[in-house]
Amino acid sequence: MKIKNGFVLREVCGEKVIVGEGLDAINFGKLLSLNDSAAWLWKAASEMGDFSVDELAAKLCEEYEVSAEEAKADVAAIVDEWQQIGVVE
Amino acid sequence: MITNYYKVAEHVFRICSEDELSVLLSNYAPFSCPSSNHVAFALNVSKGYAPDYTIEISQEEEGQEIVCGRTASGEPVFEYCLGGKTAAWLVCSADYRQSRLLLTGEFTKFAIDNALMVLFALATARLQTALFHAAAVSFKDNAYLFLGKSGTGKSTHARLWQQAIEGVELVNDDNPVVRIMDDGRVRVFGSPWSGKTPCYRHVSYPLRGVVLLSQAPYNRIERLQGLQAYAALVPSISGKRWDAMIADGLHETENALASSIPVWHLECLPDEAAARICNATITE
Repeated sequence: MKIKNGFVLREVCGEKVIVGEGLDAINFGKLLSLNDSAAWLWKAASEMGDFSVDELAAKLCEEYEVSAEEAKADVAAIVDEWQQIGVVE
Repeated sequence: MITNYYKVAEHVFRICSEDELSVLLSNYAPFSCPSSNHVAFALNVSKGYAPDYTIEISQEEEGQEIVCGRTASGEPVFEYCLGGKTAAWLVCSADYRQSRLLLTGEFTKFAIDNALMVLFALATARLQTALFHAAAVSFKDNAYLFLGKSGTGKSTHARLWQQAIEGVELVNDDNPVVRIMDDGRVRVFGSPWSGKTPCYRHVSYPLRGVVLLSQAPYNRIERLQGLQAYAALVPSISGKRWDAMIADGLHETENALASSIPVWHLECLPDEAAARICNATITE
């Protein structure tokens, strides 16, 4: 899957948020607030372009001291949320 | 060739045309200024025909349609239509600083006003400037902005302030400009665009508060912080956010405003009590 075109990570008053700015995202009309680890995953996912939960979890393991199972569960949960909100496809 | 210079929010722009447009530009007269080599943008106005372009998006509101797109060489294009008839095509340079407006001869004033608003918003987006969709009033040497979706009652609330509170004046009824000045202070400026109310005042005041309005069967006001303040500001600022350069510039301004200017949410009735509660809370 991939992050949909037009969604951008911004820093607003010290918080990290996803905003819809592109042509395909202009009617999103919401701000999606991310904690630091979700924001890290977002950046990793956008650099990867096309990504899977497993690939993103592996990346998380390279960067942070987490077990493979934990990483996969965390990544699956956040990606599931992003899918439901409609910012990845 | 006739050339005119205007200054809005301390940004100078130039309009060149073959024929005299001064009758059309009466709302610009208070903003007239001497010629300058440093202009935020320049517009050439002439009669013309449709350029070849690909449509990106089109927006329609109250019988007005704006179609946005690009020419084959990447120049941004805006087509302005009223009641199904094209008034003009605006063809811009990538940075929006050099543009030409091609008039069909229909609705010329509508075309010129809309083209200049778009150009002003886009050419100054990276200059800590934001063209708002809002009503602005002054009170005790400060300015306050009222935001809200079309039909919420921005103009009504501004009028109620003038009726209920002594010393209130209208700065602009529809499109005031907010600019973060070089010293970091935030000021509100009148503009040549003011919706249906002719209020074209070349004045400026420090911005002391922003109020997002929504209709309710009661009057209640609360302060918005951080993200909520930012979310209140963004939909009220004109821009073309799918152009990343524009989006970056506006975000910087919006973030600075949300961090430094008190932003409020007023749920209100269209009555003078609402104006008094709002005034007493935000001008404290």
